[in-house]
Formats: sequence, C-alpha cells, structure tokens
Amino acid sequence: MTSPGLAVPRAAAPTRWPDFSRPLAIIGMVIGWELLARLLAGSYILSGPIDILAYLLGNAGLMTRALLVTLEAAAWGFLWGNLAACGLALVALLLPRLQPLISGLALIFFCLPLVATGPILRVLYGTGTGPQVTLAALAVYYTTYLCLLVGLRAAPASWFDLVRTYGRGRMTELLRIRIFATLPYFLAGLQIAAPAAFLGAMVGEFTGAERGMGVLAIRAMRGLDVDATWALASVAAAVSMLAYGALGWIGRRLGSVPPALLMAPPPASGRSPLGLRLALPLAMGLLTLGVVVLLWQGSMDGLGLNRFFAKRPGDVFAFLFTDAQAAANRATLLSAFGATISLALPGYLLGLMLGAAMACAIVIAPALSTTMLPIAIALRSVPIITTAPLITLALGRGAAGTITIVAVMIFFPTLVACLEGLRRTPGQVIDVFESYAASPLRRLTGAQIPAMLPAFFASARMAIPAAFLAATTAEWLATGGGIGSLMAMTASTSAYGMLWSAIVLLALTASLLYLLAGQLEHLVLSRFASEQLVK
Amino acid sequence: MAAEPRDRPPPEVRCQGLAKTYGDAGGALMALSTTDLVFEAGRTTALVGPSGCGKSTLLRLIAGLESPTTGSVEIGGESPLAVRKRAGLAMAFQDASLLPWRTVRGNVALALQLGRMPSDGEAVDRLISLVGLDGFEDSRPSQLSGGMRQRAAIARCLVTEPGLLLLDEPFGAVDELTRLRLNQDLPRLWEKRGTTTILVTHSITEAVLLSDRVLVFSARPGRVVADIPVALPRPRSRDSLEHPRFRMITDQVSAALMEGWQADAAQ
Repeated sequence: MTSPGLAVPRAAAPTRWPDFSRPLAIIGMVIGWELLARLLAGSYILSGPIDILAYLLGNAGLMTRALLVTLEAAAWGFLWGNLAACGLALVALLLPRLQPLISGLALIFFCLPLVATGPILRVLYGTGTGPQVTLAALAVYYTTYLCLLVGLRAAPASWFDLVRTYGRGRMTELLRIRIFATLPYFLAGLQIAAPAAFLGAMVGEFTGAERGMGVLAIRAMRGLDVDATWALASVAAAVSMLAYGALGWIGRRLGSVPPALLMAPPPASGRSPLGLRLALPLAMGLLTLGVVVLLWQGSMDGLGLNRFFAKRPGDVFAFLFTDAQAAANRATLLSAFGATISLALPGYLLGLMLGAAMACAIVIAPALSTTMLPIAIALRSVPIITTAPLITLALGRGAAGTITIVAVMIFFPTLVACLEGLRRTPGQVIDVFESYAASPLRRLTGAQIPAMLPAFFASARMAIPAAFLAATTAEWLATGGGIGSLMAMTASTSAYGMLWSAIVLLALTASLLYLLAGQLEHLVLSRFASEQLVK
Repeated sequence: MAAEPRDRPPPEVRCQGLAKTYGDAGGALMALSTTDLVFEAGRTTALVGPSGCGKSTLLRLIAGLESPTTGSVEIGGESPLAVRKRAGLAMAFQDASLLPWRTVRGNVALALQLGRMPSDGEAVDRLISLVGLDGFEDSRPSQLSGGMRQRAAIARCLVTEPGLLLLDEPFGAVDELTRLRLNQDLPRLWEKRGTTTILVTHSITEAVLLSDRVLVFSARPGRVVADIPVALPRPRSRDSLEHPRFRMITDQVSAALMEGWQADAAQ
C-alpha cells in the first residue's frame, strides 16, 4: 500500500475500467449465503436465495397482497409521523423556551415500547389499520424531529445578518433561509424514517391485524416455515433498501448534499454555574413528567375511554404502590425487567463495540471501505427484528439468542455512523500523520478514532430505544421471558394494570438512559467536536 | 414605504460615545472602548487593526446588527433600524454568504426581495454584468471561484442602490492576485455613485488603495490610534500603487499599527 501523498494518480492508467468491486462483493455475498444455507440444510435456520426465490414465485399473489397492505400502513405512518415531526420542530423553533419540554415529550413517546402500545392501540382502534399506522408514525417522528432541529439551526450566522441588514425579522429568516437550509437534513431524516416506518407497521401487524406482512411473519414463525420467514425478511429488506435508495436519489436530484449529521442534543445550558446546570435539567425533567401525566389523564378522560383497559396515571400508581398486591405486582414487574436488562445491556454493548471495531478494521484496510460502506448502509435499513424468531431458533431460547438479536440490531447503525465519523477525519490531520510516515494503526488511534468518537456516542444514544425494542420484541415473539413476554401475556389476559406499569417503567428507563448517554456525549463532543454543539 | 433610495444623497454616519462590552460583570470583554467618530457623506473610510480590535464590532454596531452598550449611531439623522427597513444600507461579508440553493441571479435578486423592492430582472442582470459575471447568471455558488463569489456578493449589495455600504473584509478570503483584481474592478461601481463606504480590512495596501481616510485601531479594547487622510487622486488603479505618496501613506499606516501594538505590549 502506498501512502496517498506518494501514490501515482490513477488517471495515469491507459484505460479506466469501471469499478466492479461493489457488484462483485454483492454477488460474492449472495453465493456465500446460498452455500451457508446448503451447509445448514435441515436445521431450520437459514434459507438460501434459491429457496427464497422459489417461495416468492410460488406465493407471489399472497406476498404481493400482504406487501401492499403493509406498505399502505407504513406510508400513512410515514406521512403522519413526519408531519408531526415538522410541526414539533416548527413550534420548538418559534418558541425556543418550549424546546426542552417538546424534546422531552417527544423522547418519552419515542421510548414507549411498541410491543405494549401495539395491543393497547388494538383495543382502542378495534379492527383496521389504525394501530399499524400509529406505530409506524411513532417509529419515525423522533429521528425526523432531531434532524429538523439540527437542520433548522444549521445555517451560518452571516445569512441571518444578511436578512437583518434589510430590516427583516424571524419570519423572513424562516421562509427564505431556514426552510431551504433544512432541506438536506430533512431528506436525511426521511431516509432514516422510511425503513423505520415499515418496521413499525410490521410490528403493528404482529398485534392482531388481519392482513399484511406482519401477520404472515407471525404465521410463518409459528409454523416453523423457514423459507417463508426468510422470504418475508428479504422482501422487507428489499422494500426498506429501495425506499432508502429512492429518497437518497430524490435528495441528489434536488442537489442537496447529505449533511454531516450527528443529531447532537442541545446542551443543558451554556456557561451557567454548576448548581444551575444540574438543577435546570432536573426541573425540566420534572416539568416534562408533569405534562406527560396531565396529557395522559386528559386524553383518556377527554376521549371517555374505559378505565378497564385505558388505565390512568393514578391507576398505575395504585397498582404499584397502594393496592393490596402492590408488593407482589412490583416484584413481578421488576424481576421481568431485571431479566430483560440483563440481556439487553450486554447485547447493546456488544453491538456498539463490534460496530466500532468493524469500522476501524475497515479503515485499516481501506480497499474494503468503498465496498463495505454502501452494503452496511443498505443492511442498516433491514428490519432485523423480523429475523428474531430465526435467530432464537438457531441459538436457543437462552441468553445467547436475545443478546445476539439486540447486538445485530445495533451493530449496523453503529458501523455506518462510525465509518462516516472516521471518514470525516480532517484531511490535513491525516497529512500530518502521513508526513511522518505513521503506520495505519498509529493514524487510527491518533487521528481517526478521536474523529470517530462524536459519531460513536451519537449512535450509542440513538441505540438505547432500539435495544429495548429489540430485546422486548425478541422476548415477546420468541424466547418467552423478561418484560417483553410479560407484556404479551398481560395483553392477552387483559391484565392491563401490569401492561401499563410495564410501559411506564420501560419508557422512563429508556428516556433516562437516553438523557444520560446524551450528557456523556455532550462531554465528549465539547472536547472532540465543539462545532457540532447546537448553540 | 417605497422610498426610492436612489433619490437620497449618501448619508453621513455619526457615532457618539459608542462602546460595546460582551458578557456580564463576571467575565466582561470590552470589544470597543468609547468612540466618537464621524464618517463623511460620500467618502470611503478604511478600518485597519489587529484581529479582535473591535473594527468588525464597530461595523456591526453601525449596521445595527448589534446594540451598543453605551452611545448611539445615526445614519443621515436616522437610526440604523430605520435605514435597514428601507434598504438604505448593504453589507458584504468575508465569506460572501451566498445562499447555495440559489443561482447567482437568485442571490442578487434576494436583496431586492429582502428590501421589499419590486423585482427588477434587468437591474439584476446589469449588475451581474457590471461585476464581470456575464454568463454565470444561472450558476450556483458552488460552481464559482472564491473571487467570483465575492463579485456576486458585491452585486447583491449594490442592486438596491444603498446610500451606505458596509464591507467586512469582503476580499479577505481570496488570494492576493484575485484581491488586486477585485480592488481594481469593483470599487469603481460604488465610487461613481458617491456611496458612503466603510471598509474593514487586514490589508494595508487595500485600505490605502480604496479609501479617502484610514482609521487605525489598537488591540483590544479597540480604540482609534491614528486617523490618516489618503490624498491620492481618483480614480485609482494599479498605477496608484506606483504613486510616490502611496508608499508614504502605507508606511504611515504600518507605523501607526506598530505603535498601537507596542503601546499594547507595554501594558
């Protein structure tokens, strides 16, 4: 390997062959997949591309109908979720004082466990696609909201000075500058949202829909139909990748350059004294919780929902603290929760570490990077969760299965984020290392890993709700332990007190961990990428 | 509302007791110490001084982009806000600040839109041609060189025919050769109209070449340490650089800069 500074320019070659490395890599992977499937034949784990294709052709009508149903629900959820995100971001921009409250509320709703909200929405909506659409919307709005929040502030100060030198105000700023400056961030957000909407719709269908990909997935899983399960996962993956690619194409057609997006949270406060810096977020957190309780009570009462399944905050409190069986209820809930955490946490850490390590390995061997990055980006959009039943089938219902599912769920987004972070190492810093002929390893540890840290911590933050989703879904669909299974059980036996308590516990835990990770990230960013902090 | 700026004579700018302090009592940073200045109507004044001496702050105070800690600014007897509201001033920034999603034409027309003026495609195209960007009307900023972007930014400033032009190191980010060309081409456009111009620059040559008067600032907190008239014949060109008085004035400015620096170091 020659160093970039000394390398002979590639243009010197007499003829330039088109770059075959990417198609070759994809063909190689498909062949490897088929070989692996042949190797594992008869073990009910993996179907090869040929069997999947055969299944798809044999059940083309069924699959198309299911796909259209799910696509429709996902599209509506995508639309509503992103509209909600735009509305929230606009309010946060126009009323900056409300922004911490809005962000807090948005986070708590995002951290609601889909596994439990699914059954409750099913009861609320009755039959139809309401739950799927709602879950799809819930799955997308938060990431879009974060992208918009960053994008709406992404313009350089002199653009706003320009507006003000003509005596114009905030409305002109918004209409002439911010909306356009946000567009690339919005498109990046939509790209992330498209696969998430599909995943949300499928999870919604798991909870008692009549038709759709999710229904087929449950049926295939129950019947141990390996070909059908993999066919469904492949279709879901293909749809997600297509949506991701199409939105990227639209973005490029609009001439928008994908922004370097970390979605950094706004700092708690600027240079205020330490006491205030701790007290303010605490007060904000309490205020947010208060608003959540009010909204919860108000919406249930306002809609006149039956107290039997639409529990109020007071009911949950009574269930956990003042009822006769409160102690027993708490014990059941906490032991299930403990079981989930003990699997989700190792999976989470494993996924993060493997993602970062893989990214570093790819950078050490740069030939891999041009091939691997697009593949990793594509795989990131695969709804991994649909393969959860198969992974547990392969690895058993014990710890290994759930940990693997959580790790896989987190691995790909982390890998992509870290690769992008590594790629953003300033060229001049690399040149300094090159000018001393530093080894690739030295360059990695000295220049590239520090440059990667902000992206790593951002993805560690975003991975927290994903880890809970993966763990609870795996427990619910496959392993039958932990709080995921508890929620499934209580949903089917109408033990709504326990179900609502589980939702509250999970949403609060995920939100708190998310905020903690955000604080940690803020520390790292202030040292390694102070320009990313929203002022 | 639709006052015609072109009918007004260029304004005189008065700064009285102007000072700017950033931060609160705990960590106050005085950017500009109390300053009384008059910028004569229709003349070009250059502000030079070390980085952080408050010359950009002074410019932003005059534009009303920041409010002074004490003192006041009057532009032809009006407040900066009133002048801004009728597009009576225009400002150029170091990084050109063109909107990347608009073409050159769109960026120049933006000033008319922001200034609540009727769209005037002819005026836009004429200015683009005057700054030497013929044929680039439909290019986006990313397709232009640094010097071309500054030309477009100057066209945007001039399209509203402002009486006051505030230039904050407009040629600071381009190479020396391009800068010299811009110095020769562009000032003619506003000198002909007799626009009151205040220019912040790091280049002594540029300051003397373009202005009728150079104000030298000391290091932070900024104050004026020298007020040097530039009595060179106009119109100026490359030949002005060869003028015997040119060297004399630049030496004077350098000496004043050094003095301000030494006085600062002695403290």
